[in-house]
Amino acid sequence: MNRRQYRVANVSPLNQSVTSGLGGLAFARVLFLFVVALVAACPSLYGQSQTETDAFDSIKPVPVFTMGAGFITQFEGGTPNLEPLVSPIFLVPIGQNWLIESRDTFESDLAPPPGGSSFKGVLDKEVDYLQLDYIANPYVTVTVGRFLTPFGIFNERLYPIWIRDLQSDPLILPIGVGPSNASTGAMLRGGFNVAPAIEVNYATYFSTLSTVNRWDSSRAAGFRAGIFLPKPRLEIGGSFEHLLQDDRTNAFGFHAEWQPNAIPLDIRSEYARSRNGSGYWVEPAYRLSQAPVWRDQLRKVQVVARMQEFFTGRVVDDVLPPVNTQMFEFGLNYYFRDDIRFVSSYGRQFAMQGNMNVWTVGFTYRLAVPLGHGDIQ
Amino acid sequence: MKRRRFVLAMLLALAAGVFAGAGTLAGRGNDKTNDPPAPANTKAPKVTPQQSNEDRLIEGQKRFHANCGRCHAAPHKFPPRMMATIVRHMRVRATITDEDMRLMLAYMTQ
Repeated sequence: MNRRQYRVANVSPLNQSVTSGLGGLAFARVLFLFVVALVAACPSLYGQSQTETDAFDSIKPVPVFTMGAGFITQFEGGTPNLEPLVSPIFLVPIGQNWLIESRDTFESDLAPPPGGSSFKGVLDKEVDYLQLDYIANPYVTVTVGRFLTPFGIFNERLYPIWIRDLQSDPLILPIGVGPSNASTGAMLRGGFNVAPAIEVNYATYFSTLSTVNRWDSSRAAGFRAGIFLPKPRLEIGGSFEHLLQDDRTNAFGFHAEWQPNAIPLDIRSEYARSRNGSGYWVEPAYRLSQAPVWRDQLRKVQVVARMQEFFTGRVVDDVLPPVNTQMFEFGLNYYFRDDIRFVSSYGRQFAMQGNMNVWTVGFTYRLAVPLGHGDIQ
Repeated sequence: MKRRRFVLAMLLALAAGVFAGAGTLAGRGNDKTNDPPAPANTKAPKVTPQQSNEDRLIEGQKRFHANCGRCHAAPHKFPPRMMATIVRHMRVRATITDEDMRLMLAYMTQ
């Protein structure tokens, strides 16, 4: 199961002829109003974090190279697949307000051809994001370039191989994120406190149509907003995307995550809907750090489960299941350190075209090194 | 179709208004928190710079676990200049607030 997903239907050059129109114009105007409102709100906000200087202002950041890597073996319906993946990230800060960040993914899906025994496959290369961020003030960051589409939480936050608790993608991941899960254009985003114990985060973007190989994106606009309550460690939010090409459809979704303070449990969930289908996933993950016995070893063990369902929509999309599908997965991860872990899972997929088992086993690793002197001189 | 666009436009305009209003509220809330509490018959506790710094570190530790733990296992500490880059990256990626970022960096570079 290849993690990269492409929506080739949306990137034909013919689409360019329908990119102008009343809907796009109205949407652009509203987004402009949104930007004006944000900028207008900023002067009253700006004093919040300017009252004191601290370590942040005195430490000069240094470029960083970080990388997620993994080797996953997956048995899908009895067929083995070998999936090596390397995903390098470059972070280049400029001054106190700018950041250039990029992530590429090199991966392969090696499988034996019918009747053969050796594993064969091709190397997929993808520019996940290459963006310039400008931290305009504590409440607004302006991003231009190619960026991960901010729809739901999985694509932006949980996608990296060393972060995800289960190695398979949720069935609904392609909804609302566009081809290659990325957009090309501009984005405003940020987070701020509306009360001492309530944080609001948002992201709004406009993406242009791109048919360039490895840079493909749809012409679309959308936003995501969430509320995070730090005390109960609960976040809820919603996302919306309006496609400004083809049939100009909408997609929307909701997300929630909760880490109760009393127990080492993470519960994450998403719901998404578009004309191509709808569905949800719920994923609890529990770290055995409170086990009464063998705590030294068991605290490194995480058990995780995911229940998900997908319901087909009016139009079939080639990156989504063609029929209604249910899937349950159970996983067991072992953290050697916070950056190296062994991952394994078993899943059972139920669909009208046939049920199948999905086994996964492998290792994931995260590297992070400074490209210069990391310590203060 | 026009009606749908109109509803969409109104929803987004409303969202813009909410953000703008929230911003103003946040500013007011901050003004309030900056005001010294002045109950009539109680003395405000003396806070030394050292205590204040310790409070910041404790708060930074809380914010670190609350924010980083939303997505992944809390990482070990990195060198200060590297940490400054990583928190900036996470500020953008995970839309962490400016205040959280500063407190987390203070805690991670102590």
